[in-house]
Amino acid sequence: MKYFLFILFMGFTTAVFAVEEHHTFANEKQAELFKQLSLELRCPKCQNQNIADSNAVVAKDLRDKVIELVKLNKSKDFIVDYMIDRYGYFVHYKPPVTASTLVLWVVPILFVLFGFGSVVFRQKKSAIQQKWSDKDEAQLTKLITKYQDNSVEEKQELGQ
Amino acid sequence: MSSENKNSKLMFAVPLIIFLLLCVFLFKGLFSNPRELQTGRIGQEMPAFNLPDLMEHNKSWSNKDLLGKVYLINVWGTWCPTCLVELPYLTKLRERGVEIIGLYLEQGYDPDFDGEFNIQALRDEVSQMLARTGNPYQYNIFDLNRSLAFDLGVSGAPETFLVNSKGVILLHHTGDLNERTWRAKFAPKFTQLKEVKL
Repeated sequence: MKYFLFILFMGFTTAVFAVEEHHTFANEKQAELFKQLSLELRCPKCQNQNIADSNAVVAKDLRDKVIELVKLNKSKDFIVDYMIDRYGYFVHYKPPVTASTLVLWVVPILFVLFGFGSVVFRQKKSAIQQKWSDKDEAQLTKLITKYQDNSVEEKQELGQ
Repeated sequence: MSSENKNSKLMFAVPLIIFLLLCVFLFKGLFSNPRELQTGRIGQEMPAFNLPDLMEHNKSWSNKDLLGKVYLINVWGTWCPTCLVELPYLTKLRERGVEIIGLYLEQGYDPDFDGEFNIQALRDEVSQMLARTGNPYQYNIFDLNRSLAFDLGVSGAPETFLVNSKGVILLHHTGDLNERTWRAKFAPKFTQLKEVKL
């Protein structure tokens, strides 16, 4: 029973949160926007962290600026553009569709198309190769009778 | 039979081509610098600012003071070891006639914790450091809250901007400036603007 309870309680986890910074926003919508943006904006100093994740000075500056702009009721697009104006496209995790970034969208589609194409192509090819002629039919009958006869003989041998 | 032959050649060639393209892409990646950052301000005018001088009391600088000359803005701080390496080279550039304006980036100060900023202690520190390395700066702009740095898209120090006489930002370089980066990146544009050989 003790072990049963022990195992049962292992199934439960309690969430533990460590909050370093606490901000109060006027409404739920602003808080949500800040959360969204701090996950979507990239720290310019660190290679692969968003500004929520990073403790770099510049990441803190970006967070503070986002808070300031969110509290002024600026839209998401406005804030993202504001950051891109200063830190370039690097700062946003969603790159815009331009001639040089188009490859990011086109290559996966081409990959899938190429994969499907090759499957269809190979299937067609093998379907063509498997033509069944009268000659093949005759060959098959011949082989069947031959091995049937063999098996009959084997059984007789075993029976002896 | 010949068409089958052609197909098998194709089946061989297509993956090979994809593989080779991937090789070229990854090979190029070996030499790209992920720390190379470009501000979104290239081709735009210097953002408006009005900030105090680092060393002189009651003196301040604004973006209008900078119009009419070609200059470098160098972002630095006494806390930054790479700046210490870069300062003697910048001093050499000044001797060759390049005007350099310092943007002093304070990174430790937090008004919520530190109370009033001790400017005199910083001035002493700056004087000591520049006495050792040489002083490349015409003057230093003191950006305590990193507001101009933020508007310029500065992510750390050292960083250097080249600005023309109309106040338009032409180049942005992250990391130290040395003979090699100066020759490769700055010298062509700079000589073109100044029409002098350096």
